[in-house]
Amino acid sequence: MSLHPVLSATAIAHAARIGPVVADPYPWPYDGTVSAERTALICIDWQVDFCGPGGYVDRMGYDIGLTRAGLPATARMLAHARAVGMLVVHTREGHTPDLSDLPANKRWRSAQIGAEIGAAGPRGRILVRGEPGWQIVPEVAPVPGEVLIDKPGKGAFYATQLDLVLRTTGITHILLTGITTDVCVHTTMREANDRGYECLILSDCTGATEQGNHTAALRMVTMQGGVFGCVATCDAVVAATRAASEGDHRGD
Amino acid sequence: MATDRMTVDADPGTFTFDPAHTALVIIDMQRDFVEPGGFGETLGNDVGLLQAVIPPLQQVLAATRAAGMTVIHTREGHVPDLSDCPPAKLNRGNPSMRIGDLGPKGRILVRGEYGHDIVDELAPLPGEVVIDKPGKGSFHATDLQELLQIGGITSLIVTGVTTEVCVHTTVREANDRGYECLVLADCTGSYFPEFQAAGLAMIAAQGGIFGWVAPSTQYLTALDSLSPAAVGAVTDGEGN
Repeated sequence: MSLHPVLSATAIAHAARIGPVVADPYPWPYDGTVSAERTALICIDWQVDFCGPGGYVDRMGYDIGLTRAGLPATARMLAHARAVGMLVVHTREGHTPDLSDLPANKRWRSAQIGAEIGAAGPRGRILVRGEPGWQIVPEVAPVPGEVLIDKPGKGAFYATQLDLVLRTTGITHILLTGITTDVCVHTTMREANDRGYECLILSDCTGATEQGNHTAALRMVTMQGGVFGCVATCDAVVAATRAASEGDHRGD
Repeated sequence: MATDRMTVDADPGTFTFDPAHTALVIIDMQRDFVEPGGFGETLGNDVGLLQAVIPPLQQVLAATRAAGMTVIHTREGHVPDLSDCPPAKLNRGNPSMRIGDLGPKGRILVRGEYGHDIVDELAPLPGEVVIDKPGKGSFHATDLQELLQIGGITSLIVTGVTTEVCVHTTVREANDRGYECLVLADCTGSYFPEFQAAGLAMIAAQGGIFGWVAPSTQYLTALDSLSPAAVGAVTDGEGN
């Protein structure tokens, strides 16, 4: 088994296979292994508003140390995904400047907690597309050629082109990173699971505003034989990635 | 329609709704999940935790019907040839019993089988909507959103099982679509008490990030204040 640092990107790009990954509650994926070409890494809402100083979550009084905890492992996972040729998708939660895609109840609730969407915040208008607070933090920023999904809700599938992009590019398996574990990551995982994608959530690449919700959300995934998929770490995925030549030796 | 808005004491704050534009959604109260001897119990789950949901939900269903409000039932299940069942759902984790296998109450999670149908205590009445869904969420690959739009429904009273799986997924879908959701705590159930508590807490967290949570008694109290005349206005559509 080779870890990606000893393999050049060109040697394994578009040919690597992933799995079986040591995961809870079953070795992921359910079908043994999957080609990197059929696997997407989805990085959810790593935005300044949620994990940057002065952003929306910071302003709500939460400890952004909790939402930033998954950044180092996510940066490692991104490097690995790029090296082995996975599709990389970044999502951003936000609304158009005229707020015509903002449901009234979402706006009302954000105002109730003192961070009204569309209002001026320390990093521009809160959760408005194009504003500084809405941008992805530099640690896990997209590179040219990667897919960006702008979503008005918690789920990355609702009212976006994500499902079309995944089906068009032949993706069947999804790795999930991002924030927050119990809100946007979980909603997206549930949507993906209902659509038949085989999902793996990376525990060390996620985080929540409350640690209890983070832990409960990860445990919910693992019950009933993996009701939404599996949980594993970044390193477990890296360790379970093999170059095509090794796969050939195994008779694949 | 000039109806009064009802108010319910809820977490994290007062939930208000107009009965004319609100539907009761009862999620997956199916024999295979809820009844002794069903598929859920064969997996080692304590169905007593789900059975406890039935009595308060019967009261809520009766009061909702009496108020002339919309009632929607959902069932999770697949067509007999399983062509709408994703391979990952069918084969994940090498289950001892798969979807489509013959279980104690018919083929597991297959539409038309005895175990797939709703328990007798909560059986739909003629004219009530029954949504058959292939996933955990009630919106994906169903007509639910179109039916709500046609019916002018903007708020949902959400009940059923299980709290952290199908109830939660449906509330998340509804919330992203702009529907106001009130989850009735004692009318939802989970095989796992820790997830019952965590699931309800997640809904009301961060100022109600997915919606509101209240005991069914608070909802029933609100409906009690609905006068018979007002009910008539709701059902007849008068006062426009």
